[in-house]
Amino acid sequence: MSLARALTFVELELRRLRHDPTEVFTRAVQPILWIGVFGTVMARVRAIPTGGVDYLTFITPGVLMQSSSFIAMAYGIMLVWERESGILKKVLTLPLSRLTVVLGRSLAGAARALTQLFVILLVAVPLGAKLDLSPIALALAVLALLVGAAGLTALSILLATFMKTRERFMGILQAITMPLFFASNAIYPIEVMPAPLQAFSRVNPLTYVIQALREALVYSNPLACLQSIVDISLFSLAMIALATLLLGKIVE
Amino acid sequence: MPNGFAVRAENLVKVYEGTVRALDGVTLSVEEGELRAIVGPNGAGKTTLMRILTTQIKPTSGDAWVLGRHVVREAGKVRSAIGYVPQEFSVWNDLTGYENLLVYAKLYGIPRDRRKRVIEEMLEFMELKEAANRLVRTYSGGMIRRLELAIALMVKPRVLFLDEPTIGLDPRARALVWSRVLEYRKEYGATVVFNTHYMEEAEKYSEVVTMMNRGRVVAEGGPSDLAKAVGEGDLVSLSLEGDVAKALEALSRVPGLAVASAKNPVLVRVENAQRQLPYLMEALMGNGVRVKEVGIRRPTLEDVFVKLTGMTVEEAEALGFRGAAAMRRAIRRGG
Repeated sequence: MSLARALTFVELELRRLRHDPTEVFTRAVQPILWIGVFGTVMARVRAIPTGGVDYLTFITPGVLMQSSSFIAMAYGIMLVWERESGILKKVLTLPLSRLTVVLGRSLAGAARALTQLFVILLVAVPLGAKLDLSPIALALAVLALLVGAAGLTALSILLATFMKTRERFMGILQAITMPLFFASNAIYPIEVMPAPLQAFSRVNPLTYVIQALREALVYSNPLACLQSIVDISLFSLAMIALATLLLGKIVE
Repeated sequence: MPNGFAVRAENLVKVYEGTVRALDGVTLSVEEGELRAIVGPNGAGKTTLMRILTTQIKPTSGDAWVLGRHVVREAGKVRSAIGYVPQEFSVWNDLTGYENLLVYAKLYGIPRDRRKRVIEEMLEFMELKEAANRLVRTYSGGMIRRLELAIALMVKPRVLFLDEPTIGLDPRARALVWSRVLEYRKEYGATVVFNTHYMEEAEKYSEVVTMMNRGRVVAEGGPSDLAKAVGEGDLVSLSLEGDVAKALEALSRVPGLAVASAKNPVLVRVENAQRQLPYLMEALMGNGVRVKEVGIRRPTLEDVFVKLTGMTVEEAEALGFRGAAAMRRAIRRGG
């Protein structure tokens, strides 16, 4: 495994984004609506207990993770496409370990997802979200998002090895991303959910990433945030390991 | 461990999804420095063979080595020694040609101080210098192939695998791709193994031809030796008007003649067409058979294929079409 070579996949992604940055903006439309419309309206209703934090501030980390997770989870579609072209065949004949390929692609998906941090801060802060924007808070938010999105990208790669056509992949994607979002602490605290949903949200990786983002950006609690990042990395490492083991299946 | 060969395969079998037998016991040896063509109709198993040799997929049974390294147990070492250009395009079309080379150079692990020089050298060699900073999306098919070759050759591989390298290219682009491949081989003494279903390309560019059909090797040898297997001499094709049976009866009386295909147009083999054609025509006309058109040619690999399999390449593809379609479905599902 070589980290330098894995990071080349991140460079590849950034170069592609530079040539065509459309995704950064199209993906930003939905979260802008969530924060700008849903957030501001619900803040007036005051129907959701958020522990003394105003609602707009409360949902900003949730919406940020929603948007990032959609990008990370959609990354597999690229692999489905690369599988139909010759790219994946070529990549698998390069002197790279499977782990380097999966780790690199996961970080590449995470890099794409990370663009949402800047887009959403740019929207939420002017609308009145009260966020800790100190360097430490921002660094922790970046780290949490990077680790979490890398794990979700690995999960997406895993799905791509089984769903080998775009149609099937898009179908499963729809079926997974929205439930993960609603069954998390993104737009309401999990304490208000019915018990079975609460149980699910406690094994939902999104819950932990959003928790870490709140600890960094809202509660200014670096230690608690680091603890959450450790939890998330367990999920991400497991996904990367699993995707590495099964990557060979994608070209069979 | 069989050493001394660039490529060695023993009894390779690949079964997709437990049912589709893409390879059915393939054994072959390629000498170092050799230029080897693997030919056969679509669905013959050429691509599956190449994907096993390039460590992408594992054989169901059998063994294969590249430069003495086992393709499953020593896959990492095989990958460090080979160059490969798949049949489908393998570059990112939303990056420039230069960026593609740069990204692949980094993935290959070419050290920073050598990267720029290697890329420049390859752009020059492949005549892509002027297009280097354009998005690949704007490239022609031939340019994309040359870019892919540039990527494969950056690390100066000792064995180069090309899967249908000129498929879909116009004659000029094909010739340019081949001139670059041959030039590289001359300069570095590399082994080149290529798949093609253009038989005339195998005849023109390879030293040894492996002919495959339905997952098996049906013939192997130098292109001209293989053509001799059909028989020495010339082939005469006779486009007939009317009764083929009557024509065959007339032809059976001509000495030194063998019928290669009894369907209209009838194909016969003779030692020397220039000398024998008059007698042949006389016999036909004497039996009241009218000949619309006469063609004389040397035997080709197509004729070898017909002789060995009893069908033309097109017939084999049509026959194998259901099998090939099933195989493609199986590959897609990933059994």
